[in-house]
Amino acid sequence: MRYESITEAIGDTPLVRISPLVHGLKNIDLYAKLEMLNPFGSVKDRAAWSMARPRLDGAVERGDTIVELSSGNTAKALAVIAGMHGLPFRSVTNRMRVPEVKDLLLLLGAQIEELPGQTECLDPTNTDDPLTRIHRMLSEADSGYLHTDQYYSPLNTEAHLTGTGPEILRDLDGRAPDYFIACVGTAGSSTGVASVLRRSNPAIEVVGLVADKSDFIPGIRNIDEVHEVGLFDPDTYDTIDTVTADEAIDGLLVLNRRCGMLAGPTGGGAYHGALRHLRAVDEELTERRTAVFIVCDRIESYLSYVRQRRPELLNQPPRRNSVATLTEAELAAVTSIDVDAARKWIAAEHPLVVDLRGSFAYAALHIEDSINIVDELFEELLHGGLPFGKKQPVLLACPVGEKSVRYAALLTRMGHPDVRSLAGGIIGWRDAGAPLVRD
Amino acid sequence: MHLPPLYLDPRVEPLLRSVLQSTDLLHTLVDGLGSPLNLVLPEQIVASVERFRAVYRRHHLSGGIFFAHKANRSSALVRQLAATEAGIEVASLAELQHALGAGFTPDRITATGPKNPEFLWLAARAGAIVNVDSRAELLELVALVGRHGLPRVRVMLRLSAFEAPGVTVLSRPSRFGTPVAEVAGLLEAVERHGDAVELIGVSYHLDTIGLAEKAVALEACVKVMDECRRRGLRPRAIDIGGGFGVDYLADEGQWQRYTSELGNAVLGRRPALTWQGHGYGLRAEAGTLRGTLGLYPAHRPVAAADYLDELLSLPAPSLGRPLATLLLENLYDLHIEPGRALVDQCGVTLAKVLQVRHTSSGECLVRVEGNAGDIGLEARGVLMDPIVVPRTGGRPGPTEPVGVYLVGNLCLEADLITRRMVHLPGAPAPGDLLAFANTAGYAMDFDADHAQQQPIARKVAAYQANGTWRWRLDPQYWPNVPTGEAQ
Repeated sequence: MRYESITEAIGDTPLVRISPLVHGLKNIDLYAKLEMLNPFGSVKDRAAWSMARPRLDGAVERGDTIVELSSGNTAKALAVIAGMHGLPFRSVTNRMRVPEVKDLLLLLGAQIEELPGQTECLDPTNTDDPLTRIHRMLSEADSGYLHTDQYYSPLNTEAHLTGTGPEILRDLDGRAPDYFIACVGTAGSSTGVASVLRRSNPAIEVVGLVADKSDFIPGIRNIDEVHEVGLFDPDTYDTIDTVTADEAIDGLLVLNRRCGMLAGPTGGGAYHGALRHLRAVDEELTERRTAVFIVCDRIESYLSYVRQRRPELLNQPPRRNSVATLTEAELAAVTSIDVDAARKWIAAEHPLVVDLRGSFAYAALHIEDSINIVDELFEELLHGGLPFGKKQPVLLACPVGEKSVRYAALLTRMGHPDVRSLAGGIIGWRDAGAPLVRD
Repeated sequence: MHLPPLYLDPRVEPLLRSVLQSTDLLHTLVDGLGSPLNLVLPEQIVASVERFRAVYRRHHLSGGIFFAHKANRSSALVRQLAATEAGIEVASLAELQHALGAGFTPDRITATGPKNPEFLWLAARAGAIVNVDSRAELLELVALVGRHGLPRVRVMLRLSAFEAPGVTVLSRPSRFGTPVAEVAGLLEAVERHGDAVELIGVSYHLDTIGLAEKAVALEACVKVMDECRRRGLRPRAIDIGGGFGVDYLADEGQWQRYTSELGNAVLGRRPALTWQGHGYGLRAEAGTLRGTLGLYPAHRPVAAADYLDELLSLPAPSLGRPLATLLLENLYDLHIEPGRALVDQCGVTLAKVLQVRHTSSGECLVRVEGNAGDIGLEARGVLMDPIVVPRTGGRPGPTEPVGVYLVGNLCLEADLITRRMVHLPGAPAPGDLLAFANTAGYAMDFDADHAQQQPIARKVAAYQANGTWRWRLDPQYWPNVPTGEAQ
């Protein structure tokens, strides 16, 4: 397949059957619409292109900045599209909680603005929130902005009315499925697809999935937040269900490990929500049915999200020479010396003084002739072995003499014969009136 | 349509619960001292200080915990605090006088906020730390020290308008502090007037619950401190202000359900929950909810000392080290100025029910002796149910849950203590008390006034002795002083 531009590769994503051995449904064929295979990585590529394309020529002429309130995939797609057309892109958000997504957007050249948190000393009469001000700024004439407005723009839904929906129909040989399940973010994909499918099969059951209110799943809104979405119409859905972050991760694990679909949390949530809904009806069915759910994006950008919630899934084997394995006895056996004794020892035997604080703090003030190895780097070094010879006496120093004791114990265990810890640390050193220098 | 009641039960810790269960005492107090009546619990503030101090210990940090006095005017709380290791942050001449009179030595007092010449003079004369808002204020202080031959004044510089690396973190513009971009001029002035002022550190206070903004500000302060050291100054402390928050509600589910239903009510999908369709900042436009919910996040699982812990555990935005580690290894003390968070669970406001009646449209109005200025929860955006303290004896059996509007004693349409329908497990009767829990932070006396010559609530300090509750009028309370009463 040959294309003139990457944007031509948007859409026409595969519809892939989930094996009954995985989902266990007896009477339902379950299909995943793999929107993660769009070129920029998500279902939002369609909406971004649909919203931006008609206004790009004018924007290029004027040199406008493309602006969207997005914390993830729409921003990613728009950043790419803006970059391809030589336009700046700015994303305004209060929801960017996934660091990889943030870094990726910066890499793509996006400017990101995070909205301030809610005020602590609340003035209930002031309803002029930052978002309202931004909307006002964007809607001024000749503002210099192309605001794609994903939560309200009909072009968002349009992308799925003309693309995603008809593709599903075509791949099911013109027969709409009996069930359609989608997570609700901007409501663009679920609204557009549901409308196409329902036209073909008025008996279709549409399930919209939202995040549990106390939870956070990237790309899904919670039951209150959907009411703030212009494209959201409760009549689109026969059922609105909630999924939790834990369920979304369970779902993505099945898709990742059993189905070869490297789906992110939104796709995982859709799979979990679909299965929960379908299992309840499967037993009662007497004829074959078909169900479709949407896999929005890929897993790679959400590793820190998974690590935060389910660290055991990313478990590393324990590393050797780790401070975490020290015993109380080993810690108690460490030679800690106070500031006076340390100064005498330094003068007499010139031990290597290792300052374990951060480089910024070391640069500001330190013990003369000490060297700086930041604790996290030191720990990394020790995993490999002793970083200095056994004949070299060592004095370890940290802010209060707590971390230095731990590393001294570890070095002792590793066979170093003369390592000592500075009791009271650099703070004790300062409080004793001993000299600190700045180079 | 019959819908289940939407309660917002207050979070009540054991000490406050114990006094709320002393119903005879509460009725006796209100009968004798009038309604509304404020009760403060000095013992509780000692526990609050300890909770913050425990976070310091966990991170090996030292530095002062300064109570933001403006949260409550009580003498009992301030005197009790003076008996602990805590300090106090004062923002007016009278607050400074109050703190000095309560037993705070000047080294434990920091003076902040807009200052008139008298306030500045007394702070300088007494030797309090002066948190300097601007270069102009610094020069005013220097002139004052010179004119009166005062000793060097310890100052902190309040900074604002911090900029983040990488991602732009927007913050509300503040009318306080010196923009960090203009700090060079300020430091030059400090160096030039080293005979009049001694720089002990820098400070900020951001009016936000957002941790990311505070992390940006704290790291920026560390960098300014380094600039101070480079110039040969010897600052020691960073004051990160307050804003640690309070968790007001007992049950997260209640808060989630309530806020969802409020949105539904504004969209017209359920019967109204508020007086005249008030939306607390939300409005419906073509079936979509617009605007922003102008409410305090009353359910805050991470608040007060836990919030400080979380902030200190965050990595510094550009230097990468956890903020606590950054402070520690740069040898800086951490000062904090909690107000609301320090008086969490330290008080309750009582109001007597005068009348219960139904309007012609069927709404139930409960009128209390007290007004929206006395019971200031809603003015701060805090939605929380009062607890009904029935007058003992002659009470009919359990009644049905009711939705009521609480109205005050002013002859003013706007004097609603709540603009929302408050659900109560049973209808209150005249003579009952409504106990508004946890009002000691800004909701007790901040807005109270003499409108219509109605009395301002008296304040009573309640404390335990030998397992029973005792009380003093607030001005009569001193901590740890034998009272001569039967033990």
